[in-house]
Amino acid sequence: MKKARFKVDELESDIFKITGLEATVGNFYEEWEETPGPTPMPDISTFRDWDRILLNKYKPFYLPLCDLCCLCTMGKCDLSKGKKGACGLDMAAQQSRIVLLSCAIGAATHAGHGRHMVEELISKFGSDYPLDVGGLSVLVEAPHTRLVTGIKPRTLGDLEDVLDYVEKEITHLLSCCHTGQEGDNLDFESKAFHAGMIDHVGMEVCDLAQISAFDFPKADPEASLVDIGIGSIDTSKPVILVIGHNVPPAAAIFDYMEDSGLEDSIELTGICCTALDLTRYTNKAKIAGPLSHQLRFIRSGIADVIVVDEQCIRADILDEAKKVNAPLISTNYKNFQGLPNRTNDPIDEIVSDLVEGRSPGVVILDSDKAGEAAVRIAMGVFPKRKKLGIIPEEGEIIEYAMKCTKCLSCQRVCPNYLPLPEAMEAAANGNLQPLSDLYESCIGCVRCEGEGVCPNNLKLHSMIIGASRSKIKDEKFKVRVGRGAISDTEIRRVGGPIVMGEIPGVIGIVGCSNYPGSWKDNAIMIEEFLKRRFIVTTTGCAAMNIGMYKNEDGLSLYEAYSGAFDAGGLVNCGSCVSNPHISGAAIKIASIFAKRKLNSNYEEIADYIHNRVGAVGISWGAMSQKASSIASGFWRLGIPIIVGPHGSKYRRALLGRKDKDEDWYTIDARTGKRVYTGPAPEHLFISVETKEEAMTLIPKLCIRPNDTTKGRSIKLNHYIDLHKRFYGAMPDDIQLFVRTMADIPITMKDEILEILKEKDWKESEVPAPDPTLLPRLVRKRGG
Amino acid sequence: MSTSGMFADLPVDVGLAHEGERVRKPQMHIEFGGPDVKEKFELLRVKDPEEVEDGKITIVGPDVQDLEEGGSFPFGIYVEVSGEKLEVEMEGVMERRIHDFCNYIEGFMHLNQRDSIWLRLDKKAVKKGLNLEVTGKALQRLFKSEMAIIEKIQITFITDPKKVKKRFQEALEIYEGRDARARGMTDNDVDVFYGCTLCQSFAPSHICVISAQRYANCGAISWFDGRAAAKVDPKGPVFEIPKEKCLDEWKGEYEGINKIVSEKSLGEISRVQLYTAFGYPHTSCGCFEITTFYVPECDGLGVVHRDFRGQTPSGLTFGAIADSTGGGRQVDGFHGISFEYMRSPKFLQVDGGWNRIIWLPTEVKEKLKEYIPAELYDKIATEADATDITALKEFLREKGHPVVEKWVETLPEAVEAPMLEVMPVSTPSSGGITIILKNAKIHAEKVIIKRAK
Repeated sequence: MKKARFKVDELESDIFKITGLEATVGNFYEEWEETPGPTPMPDISTFRDWDRILLNKYKPFYLPLCDLCCLCTMGKCDLSKGKKGACGLDMAAQQSRIVLLSCAIGAATHAGHGRHMVEELISKFGSDYPLDVGGLSVLVEAPHTRLVTGIKPRTLGDLEDVLDYVEKEITHLLSCCHTGQEGDNLDFESKAFHAGMIDHVGMEVCDLAQISAFDFPKADPEASLVDIGIGSIDTSKPVILVIGHNVPPAAAIFDYMEDSGLEDSIELTGICCTALDLTRYTNKAKIAGPLSHQLRFIRSGIADVIVVDEQCIRADILDEAKKVNAPLISTNYKNFQGLPNRTNDPIDEIVSDLVEGRSPGVVILDSDKAGEAAVRIAMGVFPKRKKLGIIPEEGEIIEYAMKCTKCLSCQRVCPNYLPLPEAMEAAANGNLQPLSDLYESCIGCVRCEGEGVCPNNLKLHSMIIGASRSKIKDEKFKVRVGRGAISDTEIRRVGGPIVMGEIPGVIGIVGCSNYPGSWKDNAIMIEEFLKRRFIVTTTGCAAMNIGMYKNEDGLSLYEAYSGAFDAGGLVNCGSCVSNPHISGAAIKIASIFAKRKLNSNYEEIADYIHNRVGAVGISWGAMSQKASSIASGFWRLGIPIIVGPHGSKYRRALLGRKDKDEDWYTIDARTGKRVYTGPAPEHLFISVETKEEAMTLIPKLCIRPNDTTKGRSIKLNHYIDLHKRFYGAMPDDIQLFVRTMADIPITMKDEILEILKEKDWKESEVPAPDPTLLPRLVRKRGG
Repeated sequence: MSTSGMFADLPVDVGLAHEGERVRKPQMHIEFGGPDVKEKFELLRVKDPEEVEDGKITIVGPDVQDLEEGGSFPFGIYVEVSGEKLEVEMEGVMERRIHDFCNYIEGFMHLNQRDSIWLRLDKKAVKKGLNLEVTGKALQRLFKSEMAIIEKIQITFITDPKKVKKRFQEALEIYEGRDARARGMTDNDVDVFYGCTLCQSFAPSHICVISAQRYANCGAISWFDGRAAAKVDPKGPVFEIPKEKCLDEWKGEYEGINKIVSEKSLGEISRVQLYTAFGYPHTSCGCFEITTFYVPECDGLGVVHRDFRGQTPSGLTFGAIADSTGGGRQVDGFHGISFEYMRSPKFLQVDGGWNRIIWLPTEVKEKLKEYIPAELYDKIATEADATDITALKEFLREKGHPVVEKWVETLPEAVEAPMLEVMPVSTPSSGGITIILKNAKIHAEKVIIKRAK
């Protein structure tokens, strides 16, 4: 499948006798069972029409975080009140341009990670190493790759071709952000969708490669449970902390520990996705926590060595590591941290320099070497460091708190406006509880400790941590190891229940952990829907947060609920790059139930998913550009996404207008007639303020035009029930979702009938169309 | 206090939100039935209107608050309904709703059905006021709300062990009678079949035909279920198919079926024969429990279910086989079906029925043991006997499977092909890979093609 040049010196058979033949081939692909669909390797223009169909239904609503554009030297330009910039760009286009830029950065980050991964694994295992993400139970191993590119990858080497395509598209997308390129906001939006689609391919490549080569759990619903939480780490041992996303260096650390017989003598733990992926590699590793736990863990002094790779690593990590005398090893050129590159130096010298404190850190761009160095350094510094931490003791906290002038500066700079001054006042009076109460809500950004913020230079984050010692000690939970793909068998098994409405929807709860409120909020939201028999899928820091919660029975949700892709199942797919398994499950539903062509057939599959598969994504604490590109990949498939309060800073929402009947027509593929199918789903991208708002929206956004009456009545039941619980009243839009009497939830019949009468509701003429937004899919009568 | 209007007067909430609730032992106030209690049952009967007093709830024996906390008790639920359109045939279907409805009640866990029920009431809910009286009210309202054809409903709960014992025997007889009637009913005995387009919401060209002797592919809808569903919601996705003229009784082809299938599939499918996997087989949706696969080397049919994780002797998994037939298509020999259909005397009768089945997973074989003709049981291979075609053939021959007799007529010995040697170079060869070179530049110093001698 690779560009090839081959040479045959001599070949003799019954048919041929060839000498000195040389041939070069551009690209050749092995055909798979399915013939290609209409759109292999789509470019930016290919799905513009499809995007416009979606964007017409869900018109962008811009929320400028900043009225200015400062990207070129003609500016800065004020774009407020209808003004245009020096280049001619207006506010809508500028906001959508930033959305595109964010999505392109996100896609590039995953693709770059994927490229890094694939190159390293090929160098270790060879390009012919076979891909295997689930043995015989996963025949559709790469739904996105097949759907978008038409390539059915079989080996690690095949993935390089996919990445070539991904990188080409990202380059074009980034170039569109340049001054003087694009002027129309909807075209920018369409490009952002393209970036999202490409991103899911790039992520899929990355996870496919690591699952196959590192032998991660393969679509295993019973993947093991591992420890999470700072309290689960044995501090009597040397501790190595890994942070980031690219797991090969962390895997190499474990390999070296194992080879040296040290796997029980050292604690190997991690933060963010590297930690999640490390537990997919070995269940002896422990997860310290999500990205918000970086500073609290480092400052606690527990880590003897810190190893970073890429993404979501604090930019001041070296400063923080120095404070606790923990050597830092950077393993990735995306993140040098100003350290010397000592990849080619003798390892004994590196180890000696770091153990003796001659150097605060090094760059080692060779995973195996970094792995060995980390272990040896941890063993070396452990007796010297004596777990030096900088977290104040109770007496010190009280003493510091007395200096607080309650100027409110810290609260003002806090992204979540935490009541720090109040807590300081209590602490000054000897009551540390209010400070400790902030522990679960603090995202560890330390803006409160920034230069010039506190007039007394108080280290507020450390004080919160210090006030929470006993809590941290008990911070021991369980999380299920990322299982990777959803198996084809599971997709088939849930088919019936989804059709019959017994499974009201599929929820993907993903993304960063930087939301206001307790870190438990993700788990609290999701527990409600597990009880309600939704399928819940998760990845990344959200998957960790969900683990860091205990239910009434003292169990983590991973212990209380099955790991199967089934009603009431909680499915941890893995790290950030495992997100395509969630969107891929929706693709597989289309490919498996309806036998829709998968090969290069994006538009039709997206149309299918949008109109039929009741799936919704939540990214409650989304903060990064990667989160925006991940969301964007869901948007293009027509899957709605809910983000938390900070999500409005992504600068725009994609909101439907349920009051405009004309926006909610689909085509009945059986007759070709336009049919009103209601605002289903109502929004494509929406930011909400409270978890209660989100919980009410989730079942509502699972509503689809194709719902069977039973399915619709169950979805409505959940929507109305939650609305009543959180808002204390019936929702005002029930009449838009009831198509026939049979759609009415049986436990609410009387009250709904009353409302329908009041609203002058009429039964729909075509309650169960074969819904599509694509005229070309109207079926012709055969036979 | 309930938040739902319909149940606002009840002390606990009633709604779907509670369906997934589990009541674990420490939270349990009491349990009815369950593994430690022999006598327990739930039964629904269709009665004449004068025998039913609508809204009546009777509790024979003590109610929840008067039973010892933490105990397990014998128990019976006896639901009597009447209504002009109700039929005795629908009793089983309606009875199964007791399970769902009980689970809608906050703090009420209901497992299993008939004489194996296991019910638990949560401590907190009982404290709020949940008891049998409340349960009865909730069940009555749910039944009437869900099925408008129920005009009157009365419910009796029995907790007095002696009374339970008496009624338990009665219930067992009724279950047995019901089962015997269902087993004995043939496609000839009924005037109508039922069609189901539920799956069209995901697989738009699929229609299931449900006859008395052929369950829906998903295994979830029997003829009785179909009948009840069509009566309860006449405009719904399950509808009556008049049989009309029988075109072929042996193959199970009816004019009425052909008409409906042709209409609902927009002409894609024009004929369906119910009892065969070849020619005009019933179409396969996406959620069938089992699929057959034709093994040409043996001229037999293999059977594989959704949960089988390995490879069948043909080298394909369930997924791969299912993939080649799903989505509402007719594919010879590849046929999505339900477990229940394999228990039917009509099971692939045209193709030889069980005599044509040559391979199935152990789990399926065990599950269907009593339905596999005794003389065949040991002749059908499982994954323990054969994982490839050669081993399968050998097994069938050794055991004297009925398909072997046919081999002599149809399969010359020459079919026992010798093992093909793998070609060392990738010259185009039959059955190998076809390489398509686009814009290839090949530079060859000299190419000599010689005719073979």
